[in-house]
Order: sequence, then structure tokens, then C-alpha cells
Amino acid sequence: MTSTIEQLDADLVTDEAVRPDLPWQTIVWDDPVNLMTYVTYVFRSYFGYPREEAERLMLQVHHEGRAVVASGNREAMERHVHAMHGYGLQATVSRAES
Amino acid sequence: MIVAGREGGADGVRIVLETEEAMLLSELADQVDSVLLLGGEDDPALGRLFPSAYQDDEASAREFARYTRESLVDGKRQAAQAVRDATATERGEGLVEIELDQAQAWGWLTFLTDLRLILAERVGVADPDEAEPADEERDDYLRAAYEWAGIVQGSMLEVLDPIGR
Repeated sequence: MTSTIEQLDADLVTDEAVRPDLPWQTIVWDDPVNLMTYVTYVFRSYFGYPREEAERLMLQVHHEGRAVVASGNREAMERHVHAMHGYGLQATVSRAES
Repeated sequence: MIVAGREGGADGVRIVLETEEAMLLSELADQVDSVLLLGGEDDPALGRLFPSAYQDDEASAREFARYTRESLVDGKRQAAQAVRDATATERGEGLVEIELDQAQAWGWLTFLTDLRLILAERVGVADPDEAEPADEERDDYLRAAYEWAGIVQGSMLEVLDPIGR
């Protein structure tokens, strides 16, 4: 009989192992047009990120040219990219790099 | 132009425009609506408004566009039309005061973004090294409109999303 703790550990391991079925990402690309405050506000409002995280992602887009703003199944990522295009941000769906 | 919070701390924003500012914004909103309605596939500005959703997968990008383009165009046109209607005024009418709730303010923010994406494409903001354009007067006008739209949007964001909240 396994203890509850061992059971939990096993579940965690399983979760790790099935990461590959979350292999899609929403990527937002840098655009010289959009205001930094606007991009931050979109990340906060649409994804519900706390300000600190939204600003970190915005700065990553600004400095590195792109940032992964969400991961999950392909349908969900397409919904996010659809929304980002509605906001006027340059966004793409792609497979996560393993 | 004045952008401020609304009475009683309600969500949203209050915008006061000079007659000339309102007329300019209304004209620009009408033009954005026209670009969305009439723009051909070869208009590079539309490439900015509707970027490819897949970088290296042409078939998926086309499929995505097929399912999303219509609703994106509708949403952007509705936003442009709302701004056009809210700013419709005549010379000599005086100040134009506009109250926007949170949802309406989002419509303005996205419209201002689309407007700036189109203007940037028209005057080559993305490529500062581009050769001097032929029609300098028109470009100065578009560039001024681009900068001004950014100021309006930035002012709105200062009210809607104040730093430190």
C-alpha cells in the first residue's frame, strides 16, 4: 500500500512526463510601433498576469525580440494568437522547443 | 487634448478634444475603416494588422487566416467606426467631450494601435534607413498623426493602468 505522499510524488512525475502533450506556445514578437505600456496592459488584462510578470515579458519582447507568453494545446494557443492579433500585437503559434 | 479619469472614479476614461483634434481623429478612423473594408491582399499595411500566425507553416497560416480573418476585420472595423462616430463634429462646435467605459476604452486602444500600424507602414517607421520619400509633405502629415495617436494612447494608458497600482 502506497502512502499518500508517495502517491503525490508519482503524480508529479507523471505530470512531468506528459509535458510533451503541451507542446505548443504563443510567441509575441517585437514591433517598433507598439507602446511598451500598451503591451504590458494587454498581457495584464488578457492573460491576467500580475504587473511584474507582464512587465518582465514585455521587456523580454523588447530586448530579445520575442517572448513565450503562454504554453498549452494547439487550440488554446490559436485562440491566444487570434486575440493578440485583435490587440494589434505580432504573435505566432509554434511548437515548444524540447 | 485632455485625458482624465471619470467622475466618481468609475472605470474607463474621459477624453476632451479640441474641434480640430476630433475632426482629425474622425477622419483617420474613417480611413482605417476604409483600409479594412477595401484593402487588397497586396496592401502591406494589412500584413501588419493580420500577421501570419505560423512562421514556417504556410498551410497552417492559411487555415488560421481562413478561420479568424473575418472576426478580426469585424472587430477592428467596429472599433474604428466607434471612434469615428464618437469624434464626429463640425468646425465651430467647440470642445468634444467623450466618456468611455472600460470596454469602449479598449476599442479606442486597439483602434489607435491599428492606426499606428497602418501609418508606420505608410511612412516606413519600421525602416529608418529607407530612402527619402517622394512626397515629403504627405509623409510629414502622416508622421505627425502617428506621433499624436501615440500620445493619445499613452495618455489613456496612464489613466487606465497607472504605474504602481
